[in-house]
Amino acid sequence: MQAVLQADVGHRGVVLDPRTKIFLLFTIALFVLGGAGGDLLDRYVACFCMLPFVLFLLAKKWKRACIYLVIYLAAYGSFVYFGPRTTGIANFLLLAVCGILSRFLPSIMLGQYLIETTTVSEFHAAMNRMHVTEKISIPLSVMFRFFPTVAEEFASINAAMRMRDIRFGGKNAAKMIEYRMIPLMVCSAKIGEELNAAALTRGLAGDVRRTDICEIGFHLQDLIFFVLGLIPYVVCVVGLFQ
Amino acid sequence: MKNDAKLKGKDLINIGIYAAIYCVIMTAIAMLGFIPIMMPLLCVLVPLLGGIPMMLFMTKVSKFGMVTIYSIIVGLFLWITGMGYWPFIFGIVFGFLADLIAKSGSYKSSRKTILSYAVFCLVVFGNFIPLFINAEKYFETRQSFGDEYITSLSSIMSHTWLAPVLCVATLVCGLIGGFIGRAVLKKHFEKAGIA
Repeated sequence: MQAVLQADVGHRGVVLDPRTKIFLLFTIALFVLGGAGGDLLDRYVACFCMLPFVLFLLAKKWKRACIYLVIYLAAYGSFVYFGPRTTGIANFLLLAVCGILSRFLPSIMLGQYLIETTTVSEFHAAMNRMHVTEKISIPLSVMFRFFPTVAEEFASINAAMRMRDIRFGGKNAAKMIEYRMIPLMVCSAKIGEELNAAALTRGLAGDVRRTDICEIGFHLQDLIFFVLGLIPYVVCVVGLFQ
Repeated sequence: MKNDAKLKGKDLINIGIYAAIYCVIMTAIAMLGFIPIMMPLLCVLVPLLGGIPMMLFMTKVSKFGMVTIYSIIVGLFLWITGMGYWPFIFGIVFGFLADLIAKSGSYKSSRKTILSYAVFCLVVFGNFIPLFINAEKYFETRQSFGDEYITSLSSIMSHTWLAPVLCVATLVCGLIGGFIGRAVLKKHFEKAGIA
């Protein structure tokens, strides 16, 4: 079985260039999460949120795509429909659940797509092509590789601690933070040492410029998504002049 | 160990690992920010809890530049997750300052590393800069969170004394977080031979 959040190279469907994915993630973070553009893009944003759905379809992740579509539409729909019709605490709860979902889900999903469909070497090659200095690109690609590991370790530690009744409302709730943070730090430190050894064999530690057999490049599908991603910027600029 | 100033792959990997842990912790805490009263408290909670990974990271640091890169990456992460570009700028400036402070203790002195962590924590404070500089514009972009959220948040944030108070609170909590991190380091990691 494939682990959560790890790149599966075998059957990926349509492959996009990592740079396109980064550009799309940046755009969605700016316009959906950050809310740039304001009222001008209000209607458009919902369409833009269909982007992760399309990308998941292209990556042949049917189930994920459908679940995303259903959750997003439910959240956005109830937000638009019930938002102005409720007040007080109900409004607040609705806001907390649906507002956050419809705002954060698209970028989280796109981030997940980026991580799941990009191998570390592809990511590193893309960073090289963009002339990002190694001092930034190596920590970033380690981080990229490390997020799933942290999540996985945290889940196992959580399970172990629940067994000892160290949880919210349990007998030992006060120890919750300490007993979760310390094991997490310890295993991250260990994994870090292993990663270091692995990096040596991959030539990351050398002084020479690292070469890559990983082929990345822009294709037709990249062009299409780039143009799609440019639309909100164009709308914004045009809106400024009107 | 030869003390050459150049950053090696090993150092860069350490930065990546600890930055990832810090970002995960920060994201977990930031989710509380949707309860309006908790919003200013982020400045308190993140430095308090983040002290543990940061202090462990500090034991791995021996060269100039590592803390700077660390805070730039944390700032970049905040920018991408929709906090605006201020944390990124703060990341460069205060990361550099924190690096200088830690360097003056040659990355060994515990007092200097705690102080340097407190300075680094101002990156978190950077999240709130748009609230104070250009409050109306910030709330415009948060329109879809609904009027209730905005009115209750702006009534908290409209007090002008809040900016310096938050700034100081961040620093103080950074110091406390640093001490907590240090204590945890002594209690657990040094025994285990990790730090």
